[in-house]
Amino acid sequence: MASVTSKLYSDDVSLLVLLLDTNPFYWSTTSIKFSQFLSHVLAFLNAVLGLNQLNQVVVIATGYSSCDYIYDSSLTPNGHFESSGTGMPAIFSSLLKKLDEFSAKDEELCKEEDNEKRVASSLLSGSLSMALCYIQRVFRSGHLHPQPRILCLQGSPDGPEQYVAVMNSIFSAQRLMVPIDSCYIGTQNSAFLQQASYITGGVHHSPKQLDGLFQYLTTIFATDLYTRGFVQLPKPVGVDFRASCFCHKKTIDMGYICSVCLSIFCEHHKKCSTCGSVFGQSKLDEASSVANKKRKAPDS
Amino acid sequence: MPQVKIIAKSFMDMVASLTAIKLDKLYNNVFICEAILRSLPPLAKKYVLQLLYIDIPVPATMMEEWVLADGVSKHRVAIDRLIQLRIFSETKDRKKQTCYSLNPTFQKNLQKHVISGGVLPREPMNANNANNAIKLPSLQELETYALQQWECFLLQLINSGQAEKLTGISSSMLKVFQRGLLSQRDRDGPRLTESGFQFLLMDTNAQLWYIIREYILNAEERDVDPADLISFLLELSFHVTGEAYNLNTLTDVQRNTLKDLADLGLVKLQQGRKDSWFIPTKLATNLSVSLADSSVRKEGYVMMETNFRMYAYSTSKLQCEILRLFSRIEYQLPNLIACAITKESLYNAFDNGITSDQIITFLQQNSHPRCASRVPSIPENVTDQIRLWESDLKRIEMTQAHFYDEFPSKDVFEAACDFAREWGGLLWEDSKRMRLVVKSEIHNQMREFLHTQSK
Repeated sequence: MASVTSKLYSDDVSLLVLLLDTNPFYWSTTSIKFSQFLSHVLAFLNAVLGLNQLNQVVVIATGYSSCDYIYDSSLTPNGHFESSGTGMPAIFSSLLKKLDEFSAKDEELCKEEDNEKRVASSLLSGSLSMALCYIQRVFRSGHLHPQPRILCLQGSPDGPEQYVAVMNSIFSAQRLMVPIDSCYIGTQNSAFLQQASYITGGVHHSPKQLDGLFQYLTTIFATDLYTRGFVQLPKPVGVDFRASCFCHKKTIDMGYICSVCLSIFCEHHKKCSTCGSVFGQSKLDEASSVANKKRKAPDS
Repeated sequence: MPQVKIIAKSFMDMVASLTAIKLDKLYNNVFICEAILRSLPPLAKKYVLQLLYIDIPVPATMMEEWVLADGVSKHRVAIDRLIQLRIFSETKDRKKQTCYSLNPTFQKNLQKHVISGGVLPREPMNANNANNAIKLPSLQELETYALQQWECFLLQLINSGQAEKLTGISSSMLKVFQRGLLSQRDRDGPRLTESGFQFLLMDTNAQLWYIIREYILNAEERDVDPADLISFLLELSFHVTGEAYNLNTLTDVQRNTLKDLADLGLVKLQQGRKDSWFIPTKLATNLSVSLADSSVRKEGYVMMETNFRMYAYSTSKLQCEILRLFSRIEYQLPNLIACAITKESLYNAFDNGITSDQIITFLQQNSHPRCASRVPSIPENVTDQIRLWESDLKRIEMTQAHFYDEFPSKDVFEAACDFAREWGGLLWEDSKRMRLVVKSEIHNQMREFLHTQSK
């Protein structure tokens, strides 16, 4: 680990990868308009960039069926503001342009898919893995790099069908020691984000009043990793550890687990669909006899 | 290298030491606000951001709750800094509690920055405007230019005779810069002082700040307001590297300053057909980076071998001079300096006041990328040996002492020994010949004690 830490800048230089939820199904139901929300976020990005000249911000849009990079501050080295006459710095007009293109593309992809039954969730797993790929690239290139962290700004409900992919991303973030902060602005609570922040040591918070979003963002999520060592941040009240089953992608409290590969199922199967192990007796009332048999097995 | 930090930090101390009126005037400039925000300790940055949209004073007790128990000292440092820079002002509310509120001008400017994003201090040259444009140098060229200029200046600084090409820095100016670094002795010419050697081993940013600081401290002698100079320098750091800006947009004072800065390699001046332009180099735009002490490291060039031989891939005369400070140059090829670290060369360095830690940090910071990727980048036997040679010189410890003999009797001698032992000042005793040595701190007490004994 020594070689990695020596490659970091000395203090609070940070790389923030922001995952922005642009799911139209969610934004059509909210009290706050997407444009209002975006103005809070842009101000927040400006603030983060202003804190340190070496700070870097990457924004990834999380759509309904796709995700894409829409802004990278390292590609527009502070400057190159072509005065576009709109009274807005070019960095953000380019972000907005990309965002427009992205949502148009996302809409098209969404039409192609005729998956009517799907929950109106956004593709969190995709954007998480994109963020991790980006961070991995930063780790491998150059001799000095900022401290990375991921911030999920999510409003859409979890998509249980993404469970495995999301969990895998979370575990690789944990391995890379990249904290995933999450700011959940939706009405339900998100088990994915709670678990992501809990496992990777990030902060999870769901703001109550969305018109003060900027204050929440700067107070909690603008805190760099160095400062986190000595300030009060929201602590997890309770983490929703529920998993999704591998067979029907339902969120479950209790289920069956393959003793070989730990795959989760909501009902009993003869054979594990992941690793192919054959399971024994099934019914719950025979559970005791199964236990007896197993206990006997080593003796015989 | 503790010295480096003090020097890099003290620029902000200098800003803080400006008078209240001047400081408030500085905050009218958006760029100063931002540069100052960037220079704050991380916790202070967080406080400023947190209070950015809060218009009423916030009680100090409430702010203390924002930090964990072990962050209290950092909290205090942050608050002190903010008050020192007049970003926070202290007020008392009705319940006589201390409250803090942000400086309104500072707050307004930062809010503007947060909402509208970074803007440039002035418009860069429009390359399409053909009748007025100049050919811009590539970033690579610009960086070479900056480094060349800077090295030239450094060479001139340490050894006025050796620089091939003299910079335009006036000799009186140069004297100011040399003040702390060279000791003027008429007999054998100027010699580098201890801090001069340490200066050479610092990284470029720290060196730059040292020079800039001297330059600002000296400003009043040149009838320039230090506050104006500070604000201009900070503003300069927000320009884009490699873009040209019109000199006509500057005041006379700023134009004169710019000439000096061009000699240091901070900007490149270029004459167009109609107007003059200045192009900021990386050195200038990094000014506000080095305010907070995260230095941008450049690529190293030194390879250290376990047999104490050192190969430096460099064409620079300055770097050769620096290596000569602590090693023996054996031969030089066009792009390579081969040298060896020997006991003699190191003793020479230690004599000049360079410490082993400084040498080792220098080697680590400048090690060639191939070596830098190894852990440790400098062979352990070399670092150990450097430290050992240094501790060799420190084998003798000196203590001021007083010597007593001719005691009238054995009793008095033993009483004196016990007395000295009680005070923890007995260094040596010889009971047969009744002689003893005590630390000079307790000499007075000892004398009094002996007076009372003799009565």
